[in-house]
Amino acid sequence: MIEIELQKLFYQDRELLQAQKLQLTKGDKILLMGSTGSGKTSLLKTLNLRNFSYVGRISYNGKELRSYKAEELRSRIMEVMQEPWLGEGSIREILLEPFGYHVHKRKKAFDPNTYETERKALFVAFRLAESLLEMKAEQLSGGEKQRIALIGALLLKPEVLLLDEISSALDQDTSKLIADYLLYHFSGTILAISHDPLWQGMWQQKWELVDKAIVVHQSQGGR
Amino acid sequence: MDISYLSLLLAALLLSIPVMVFYQLKLEMIRNTLLSFVRMGIQLAVIGLVLQFIFQQSNLWLTLLWMMVMLSSAIWTLYKRLKIKAGILLPIMITALGTTSLVVMPWIVILVIKPQPLFAPEYLIPIYGMVLGNSMNSSALALERFESGLADNWKAYYSRIIMGANLLEASIKPFRQAIKTSLMPQLLTIATIGVVSLPGMMTGQILGGASPLVAIKYQLMIMISIFSGVCLTDYLAIRLYIAKRFDSYYLPLEIRNQKGAK
Repeated sequence: MIEIELQKLFYQDRELLQAQKLQLTKGDKILLMGSTGSGKTSLLKTLNLRNFSYVGRISYNGKELRSYKAEELRSRIMEVMQEPWLGEGSIREILLEPFGYHVHKRKKAFDPNTYETERKALFVAFRLAESLLEMKAEQLSGGEKQRIALIGALLLKPEVLLLDEISSALDQDTSKLIADYLLYHFSGTILAISHDPLWQGMWQQKWELVDKAIVVHQSQGGR
Repeated sequence: MDISYLSLLLAALLLSIPVMVFYQLKLEMIRNTLLSFVRMGIQLAVIGLVLQFIFQQSNLWLTLLWMMVMLSSAIWTLYKRLKIKAGILLPIMITALGTTSLVVMPWIVILVIKPQPLFAPEYLIPIYGMVLGNSMNSSALALERFESGLADNWKAYYSRIIMGANLLEASIKPFRQAIKTSLMPQLLTIATIGVVSLPGMMTGQILGGASPLVAIKYQLMIMISIFSGVCLTDYLAIRLYIAKRFDSYYLPLEIRNQKGAK
């Protein structure tokens, strides 16, 4: 469903990737690996219209990426940042804010009958206490913020998740919980950047960025 | 009561006070001070002659032409102050200040004052000067605050657009903050007017022989016009600025004037 045909990916005047053809099919869970500065984040950001430093063509569901309206595409291909900025107000309000955006309102993303159930289930799955809801973002730890940001994205039910080092501030147990949830309970597509060895052991499909090319690893068994 | 030129010279003798203060403190401001006053005198004399000519002619086109000169000079001042690329700033300010002029001025002149003739320059020009001057200063402040609000927290902006926010949704917090900060000084002035200082327009009218009651009514009208004009200009300026500040994928563009680049 995402087709990437790059002739070149660059950052300022540095070349990151040479001619490359890649494909993400619905439901794929792909881990993007590579050393610092190899261009993982640059590649990730091309997919939600945040980076145009490339020559080539990327399409989503058969339609050129650039022809989508930005908010429409970003509501379907949603990025979660490593160090998210959550906002003012309580966590409860922070989680609700994006539902007020025009693009989500139009799709009637907010369902008052199921919202609380889904949110509670995610809080349980990610080991977050309900009392967090009344707290402000600045009272949360880095790891709690990362999980809240991921929950915020999951509640909006995107088709594709772009995850940039979202387990960097988590302990191994919690990190495994998150990976488990994403691999076995999230039905959409994921492209995730991670340096976490635990994640690298769990994810079966890997793209490794080496020497301006991507090596695709397909492990046996599981997913 | 007219002031003779000789009396004006006597008034200038008052400047001996600052001169003595600067001299005693060995502050090197005497030359600058005197030059500033001479410059002001020349500027006022020229403007006085021009205004006297325009008032005597009382011609619609001449009045409008002078108002255009005022508008252009306001826009030029903003351009010098804000250091934003001309291609971005000029259309924004022409539209924002132009719209304010076209809404507030006809409203005041046609509905409220109804002078004879309608375009009487002695009403139009001073009132326009006040509305325009305040709108100019306030919109500069509003744009500066909006830009610094964005720059202080780009992460907040990006965090919103990656979740599907459109331009206005992603920048609403700095927008609100900018409008609030730019209107606060205006509100403060309005709340304290009359108690400590009589505003310039009222002072002028009372000295010119108008009854304080008439002067107060004019002052009320002018404060309402200024506040509404300022609010409209600030709002339009930021709305239009947002549209030019980002590309069609809501990513920020380079907006600084090269000469003013930091």
